[in-house]
Amino acid sequence: MDRELIVAVGDLTCRYAGAPRDALRGVSLDVRAGEFHALLGPNGSGKTTLLRAALGLVRPVAGRAEILGRPAGEWSRRDLARVVGVVPQREENLFPQRVHETVLLGRYPHLSLFGGVRAADGAAVERALIACDAVDLADRWLWTLSGGEYQRVRLARALAQEPRLLVLDEPTTSLDLRHEMELFELVRDLVDGQGLAALMITHHVNLAARFADQVLILAEGRAVARGAPADVLTRETVERVFSWPVAIEPFDGRPQMIPLRRHPS
Amino acid sequence: MRHWAQRTHLAGLVALTVTACARGEHVPARGDVAVTDDAGRRVTLAAPARRIVSLLPSFTELLFAIGAGDRLVGRTAWCDYPPEAVAVPSVGDGMPPSVEAVAARRPDLVVLYRSGPNVTAADQFERLGIRTVLLDLNLLEQLGPAARRLGRLTGHEQTGDSLAAVMDSLAAEPPIPSTRSLVFIVWDNPPIVIGGGSYLDHLAALAGARNVFHDVGSPSAQVAIETIAARDPDVIAVLSDRAVAPRYATRPEWRAVRAVRNGRFLFLPGQLFGRPGPRITEAVRELRQRLQGGP
Amino acid sequence: MNYVLLAGAALTTLVVSLLVGPANVPLGDVLASPIVWQLRLPRAVLAFLVGGALGVSGVGLQALVRNPLADPFLLGLSGGAGLGAVVAIALHLPGPWALPLAAFVGAVGAMALVYRLGLMGGAELDPRILLLGGVAVGAFAAAVTTALVSLAEATELRNAFLWLWGGFSGASWTTVLVFLVYAPLPLVVLAALARPLDLLVLGEEPAQYLGADVRRLKRLVYLSASLLTAAAVAVAGVIGFVGLIVPHVCRLLWGRLHRTLFPTAFLTGGILLAAADTLARTVVAPRELPVGIVTALVGVPLFGFLLRRWTVS
Repeated sequence: MDRELIVAVGDLTCRYAGAPRDALRGVSLDVRAGEFHALLGPNGSGKTTLLRAALGLVRPVAGRAEILGRPAGEWSRRDLARVVGVVPQREENLFPQRVHETVLLGRYPHLSLFGGVRAADGAAVERALIACDAVDLADRWLWTLSGGEYQRVRLARALAQEPRLLVLDEPTTSLDLRHEMELFELVRDLVDGQGLAALMITHHVNLAARFADQVLILAEGRAVARGAPADVLTRETVERVFSWPVAIEPFDGRPQMIPLRRHPS
Repeated sequence: MRHWAQRTHLAGLVALTVTACARGEHVPARGDVAVTDDAGRRVTLAAPARRIVSLLPSFTELLFAIGAGDRLVGRTAWCDYPPEAVAVPSVGDGMPPSVEAVAARRPDLVVLYRSGPNVTAADQFERLGIRTVLLDLNLLEQLGPAARRLGRLTGHEQTGDSLAAVMDSLAAEPPIPSTRSLVFIVWDNPPIVIGGGSYLDHLAALAGARNVFHDVGSPSAQVAIETIAARDPDVIAVLSDRAVAPRYATRPEWRAVRAVRNGRFLFLPGQLFGRPGPRITEAVRELRQRLQGGP
Repeated sequence: MNYVLLAGAALTTLVVSLLVGPANVPLGDVLASPIVWQLRLPRAVLAFLVGGALGVSGVGLQALVRNPLADPFLLGLSGGAGLGAVVAIALHLPGPWALPLAAFVGAVGAMALVYRLGLMGGAELDPRILLLGGVAVGAFAAAVTTALVSLAEATELRNAFLWLWGGFSGASWTTVLVFLVYAPLPLVVLAALARPLDLLVLGEEPAQYLGADVRRLKRLVYLSASLLTAAAVAVAGVIGFVGLIVPHVCRLLWGRLHRTLFPTAFLTGGILLAAADTLARTVVAPRELPVGIVTALVGVPLFGFLLRRWTVS
């Protein structure tokens, strides 16, 4: 089945003003509907830059970054927000806010300039809350939520945008095992059940291997490997990229990584 | 150039000393002169002051009026009366006084208006060994006492006392029945008017005009245009040397005031009306005439 | 419901300010009295409009610089306005409009300078530089102003400060009209940006992912809010506090969504300033208090009360 190409990044090179070297160098990435992509790499390897460039926030020096066949930089933010929902790594909460208000922010790209919130918007918010198992949280204040609940609510906000592509930047940092697994399961379900495309930056090599269809590993701005987890996550690659000795064991047909002690006892 | 200036300066000094000696009768026999100033300080001079710096136009006028004008070695930039005063070197605007500029005139007495910054300045002068006297001069009633004490400090007791007597009797005079009402507008936005506790209020009363803000106790106060309109003065008194209607005269909100609408402005030259001084009788006479003549 | 209450309060405030004043206008003559028509009504309306404009401007700027201490006058505008006014007086510019016009030009000049500083880092307006630049430009303008006043030997200049402290003595139908012609455009622009501003509160990058054109948004908010404040300066001088406190009060009472905040801040600011001006005119009659003093005296305890209620709940 030839699924629709949503993100098409080809030979992308980016450099921040005044930086001594390229933040990205010749990176390519295609994300299709119904695919779950994981983006792996050590800190500073260019993961977030790739995400920003793919979404038109960083202008590339060379190469192309297209969303649905149109250069990312040509999209208006509003039109793009109807196609791509993002759960950013960080955001500010200056003023107190309730959960349903936060999720409603995801409808903003669909609202007209002075028009009110329509029934369809309410329904979209409801669907997003149900999908993220957050209906019970709707009337809670944001600051009373646990870390896992808060991430579910932010994912619901991105879903309320009714996007074709979900982008998540390290969404499970600081979550415990259960909440982390729940989030990965949720994203997998959305991809399988609703045909969404997902692109997730994560440091969890093993969970990426278990859940993702495709893995892209970046190091120092270059793509080190790209493909199905079983093809990409070899011992040589992982050790080289993360500079640490590991063993790779298959589990459920997927590779799993076990970090080794430096001096085995 | 500098030499020349110093020489003329020296010549002036000699001339001053000569005239002072020639008018020996003004210099009392050796002995202390002493007054109590309005800061409650005892001001004692071994001899009448010979080199005076006046830091208020009113004091300058008073000193000339009692015949001590030739003792002045410094004045403020504002001291423009009598014309002879202009020949005296200026020490700046005096707000606050430049202690250095005043000290450079090597005065033996500095006459200051009693205000916060001036009290501080007086302390600084005293530390430099320069005697100071701090006098109040906000009200007509304060003219007499000021003249009397300046007379004592300069050895012109007779002229000082007789001027003081005139001022005191004027201050005690019952106001003549008022025929017109007026308002003194000092600033238009926000409107600031002269109140009852002021020299101008008293002056107006002596000239037969009722200040419509006499009931406001302070010397000046911010009021609403509405209040001015409600009190409906016959005339707007403006302290101005030029007979040009003030800029607010054409503004619509001011046209609620009848006297503004009718252009009833009375322009009072600042030199005569803007400060309490020995020419108060002249000021009263002129104001009375101008009120009767109608603006 | 909130709006009905607020509109009712606004109407009551305006009616009361028409009925009371230092001049005694019998109740039966209120509709015919020139004092009411030419002085009280334009003054109350102008106070209301300026209060509303400052409230809206404060809401916009606080969201822009994401700093709860931001005040419309913090961004250098009061300094610029003061400099303009003093220069107008020093140069003896003629005409009844010289002072307000010069203050407006000064405020807009300061605004342009701060804006330029804010763009120093590139094409993006940096809110932190905006804040720092505003404080710096304001301080510099104030220094030049003070230098001019202390060097020029004219008592008139000292009175420029009186004017700057603000007040509605200069209110007339002409000033109301000028303000009414001028203010709607920036008000409408800000109202149209209400939703993007909700997003901006999350931070610039999250706001962009939710569809806000952040670069354009920041420019429009800064320019509109500053132009509103500059207009307020021109007709009423520098009236602090309203633009700082009204946004907080409205956020505490009606939540943080800008579609609610803008109208409620306009009405609340209007009510606060019109009521404060009425008090300023009447409590010490026949004298008058500077209106800024009244806004602070009334506003601070009210704000403290709300803050307490909010932190307790």
